[in-house]
Amino acid sequence: MKAIALAAAAAVALAQPAQAYLQFTTTRAGESIVLKWPRSPVRWFAGDRAAPGVSAAEFQAAVARAFATWEAVPTASIAFQFVGPTGAEPFDDDGISVVGFQDEPGMDRVLGATGFLIDTVTGEIVEADIFLNSAIPWSTAPAGDPAAFDVESVALHEIGHFLGLGHSALGETEARPDGGRRVIASGSVMFPIAFGRGLIHDRELQPDDVAGVSDLYPDGNFRRQTGVARGRVTRGGTGVQGAHVIAFHQATGRVVAGFTLDRDGGFQIAGLAPGPHIIRVEPLDDADTESFFSRRTPVDIGFQVTFHTRLVVAPAGGEGDMFAVMVTPK
Amino acid sequence: MSARLVLLLVACAAASPAAAQSRPPAASAGERPLRRIEFDVGGGLTSGGRLGGGDANLRANAPARQAFRLFAAESEFAPAPAVHARTAFAFSRRFTVEGGAELSRPEIRTAITADAEGAAPVTSVERVDQYVFDASVLMMLDALRIGTRLVPFVAAGGGYVRQLHEGRTVIEHGQLYQAGGGVKYWLLARPGGFMRSAGLRGDVRLQLVRGGIALADGPRPHVAVSGSLFVGF
Repeated sequence: MKAIALAAAAAVALAQPAQAYLQFTTTRAGESIVLKWPRSPVRWFAGDRAAPGVSAAEFQAAVARAFATWEAVPTASIAFQFVGPTGAEPFDDDGISVVGFQDEPGMDRVLGATGFLIDTVTGEIVEADIFLNSAIPWSTAPAGDPAAFDVESVALHEIGHFLGLGHSALGETEARPDGGRRVIASGSVMFPIAFGRGLIHDRELQPDDVAGVSDLYPDGNFRRQTGVARGRVTRGGTGVQGAHVIAFHQATGRVVAGFTLDRDGGFQIAGLAPGPHIIRVEPLDDADTESFFSRRTPVDIGFQVTFHTRLVVAPAGGEGDMFAVMVTPK
Repeated sequence: MSARLVLLLVACAAASPAAAQSRPPAASAGERPLRRIEFDVGGGLTSGGRLGGGDANLRANAPARQAFRLFAAESEFAPAPAVHARTAFAFSRRFTVEGGAELSRPEIRTAITADAEGAAPVTSVERVDQYVFDASVLMMLDALRIGTRLVPFVAAGGGYVRQLHEGRTVIEHGQLYQAGGGVKYWLLARPGGFMRSAGLRGDVRLQLVRGGIALADGPRPHVAVSGSLFVGF
């Protein structure tokens, strides 16, 4: 069976998203606690396994580049430290964070996954492991290999999970005859479905990714330099849960998105460039809703794509006025 | 040298004695007082202007780096009424310097089309508070005087544009350059007394705005038309 590029987050603590960009959370006494690393730099080990076409050294170098890409986000404060190669396996609860290949031929649609060990009281991530499925062809070729998936691109996605980010829905897909979905376009490395073999577009973080990691690990200037749009999505006066809300800043071309996360249809999108934004609301129908929300979350996808009739201004260092977008049934 | 120039200009401006003598003395443009300070208040209309376009793009699932347009957006400033106040000083019969402030509240209208998922086209709007602080030099064209009270003029100047987005939380700054002309119609002009002149004024100006709210490089042209009432002391 042909491998589909589904980069799933096997996050043990994935429960309810807390904010836009779907940060991973755990729940304690009814309160959502965001999962994040308590200190920086975060230490990681590279598994010493190779995969067909990719040596252990090539794998390690590609993953190190992906960590460096996240570390280079100027508005985020997270840093990493490569400790060395290890024979330990990802997903062993051994107190070390390992990124490595594992052979999972039964998971022929899964390119990779990330798992956590967390402190359920504080939400602190204690350990996170990433595996890439070596049953799927891989490449670290600088320009990509048309017959294989790009290690650095998929590692960049999984490291987003490793940091505590969930999936972004900023992408368009179409149904495949075999029941899966094919990506038409994506606006975020954290989109749950990867580009096709040979493509290396996901070696570069997009504004949506940058906003997400900066919101989770803000540096001193992030909150001052960016703004927050907040509002509600309603249908017939009732809140719409699980709607995907896109904010487009025409002056910079930046597209950043979030979700309505409660029964009132409330959302807020942080990390926006100061100034007016076009707001577009769409149903979450470009991937399996369980890629974004837990099964318990009632996600409403029965409405039409809708633009807000006002431009929404995100102020620098603050929150814009609340606004409501009314959608209509499909 | 400059004093000589001023004298020469004064002489030019006063070089129509026959007409001046035939007009009612209380409203003769030719007898408008020198070194007067004028105050001018009025209103008008600023034309709209294209701000530029920009598509919301994703990355296409293709080997070459291609944009996938999620939707297209094209923005413009809508025409808007404006009010202004100016203070002017006529240092000769021909030349006047003036400075003022103008307030308008134009809408930014963004036409959203070509949605990838077929959403209906809409126009999203935002109202902006726009303040212009400018200075200009006016040259009265007495040689083109129409009748006894109507004098055309040309003007040129520049200024600072301050634009506040809706909610007044985000400020944009720009520069304005303008040139144009108009007419002044004197209802009163006399060499003495407390109020030494009064009249009506009409202006048409071509304005180029650089910076401020902009989606494209380069200055953006606008046309501003205004009318006002002036009094001189």
